[in-house]
Amino acid sequence: MTDPLVFEDVVLDGPYGGVVSLTVPAHLTVSIVGNAASGVNRLAPFALGLTPLPGGRALVLGEDLHAMPRRAALAFRRRVGYVPAGDGLLQNLSLADNVALPLRFGTTMSPREIDGRLRIMLAQVRLDAVADLRPADADGEQRRRAALARALAFDPDLVIMDRPFDGIAGRAQIELIETARGGELAEGARRTVFVTGQFLPDRLRPRIEHRYRLVRGEFQTEP
Amino acid sequence: MARQVARGGALARFFLDILSASVSLPQAGRLVVWRVMLNQVWFSAIQAIPLVIVLSGIMSFLVISQAVRELGRLGATELIGRLMVIAIVRELGPLVTAVLIAGRSGTAIAAELATNKVMGEVHALEGIGIDPIHYLVLPRFVAAIVSVFGLLIVFDVVALVSGFVAASANGMSSTRYFDIVLRSLSLRDVWLTVAKGLVFGIVIGIVPSFFGLAVAGRPTEVPVASSQAVVFSLLMIFVCSALFVAITL
Repeated sequence: MTDPLVFEDVVLDGPYGGVVSLTVPAHLTVSIVGNAASGVNRLAPFALGLTPLPGGRALVLGEDLHAMPRRAALAFRRRVGYVPAGDGLLQNLSLADNVALPLRFGTTMSPREIDGRLRIMLAQVRLDAVADLRPADADGEQRRRAALARALAFDPDLVIMDRPFDGIAGRAQIELIETARGGELAEGARRTVFVTGQFLPDRLRPRIEHRYRLVRGEFQTEP
Repeated sequence: MARQVARGGALARFFLDILSASVSLPQAGRLVVWRVMLNQVWFSAIQAIPLVIVLSGIMSFLVISQAVRELGRLGATELIGRLMVIAIVRELGPLVTAVLIAGRSGTAIAAELATNKVMGEVHALEGIGIDPIHYLVLPRFVAAIVSVFGLLIVFDVVALVSGFVAASANGMSSTRYFDIVLRSLSLRDVWLTVAKGLVFGIVIGIVPSFFGLAVAGRPTEVPVASSQAVVFSLLMIFVCSALFVAITL
């Protein structure tokens, strides 16, 4: 079986530089933390082919998105759930419309089917009551949940979360990671989750099987 | 010079991307695009109608009232028809409408898309597999064309009516005014006006979006992108207008 995410001799440009390799095994949650200058913030965009790689390869579900034509790469990314840093929600759409966006642009589902699916997704991340709010009117936690629901729209096998815990409270952090993994009872059917950030809250450690710290261009295993 | 050529090439490629994106748009996405487009038409065209009426009315009134007086002295009031059709309907109508939309909506489009880019929304769209051209550019592109056409019709109708008021105020009968103007209007004039509306709409649909999405991500680039978008749009509109005259002479 192909590993969902592989970094092969990826060159990190930036103050510390370095060449890193890492394999993210299927059904596990892997985190990489590091300070802002370490290059940790570059890993998710590198993986998804959103930022040109200075060197090396990043394979997502066995495919190198950097080598794909633009349109093919766009279509392929729908197989991966992506929670961008900040949240990346469109400010002129409600939370519900933001969540529905991938379904509207990436499927041939009818509007009625999309509405049905949307209701389930909003309930899953407990956003039904505030679904009509614009991102600017929602709090940070609600925005992050909406971003996660949007990432899970296609029920992907791999979820990449870029700095997902910045500015949100402990309980919400656990909810986010558990929803991304597919729930506490999912066990062997869990999604593969790759999390990057500048810190990892202690309460999340038991839920993350492999934890690394990026220091001076090297991955160090965290206790 | 090389930079300008490269920019021209990038604009042409951007135009082709928009055309190909319009073909690959999924059906459910069309509803979203339609909604965004209607919002854009509301802002770019509907809200600009009073301004177009005022500009067109004053411009046409001034030109025709002066022309009736001066041409009347020479016994050449027949020429008012050609003046109205060529100067107002065919040349100034599309030009003023396009300049108005480029100045009013072009800045807004460029600033909005540049802000989308700075806020990471464009990056996020690409990350979740949505083509930013589908959601951000295509509706604005279609809306720009629709808006230029719509306002062009408003401009020309108001110009004709205002010209009539000016001619009447200077002693010309309504029958004679409309007779002269309608006799001067040929199918070629209509096609040229339509072609100009289409070309100017395409320019306004492409250039501001191109400059808006070209920012690298710094907030200070937003006003620069808006300014560049308007200047380049106006330049292209005037160049295209001159080319139309050169080709159709």
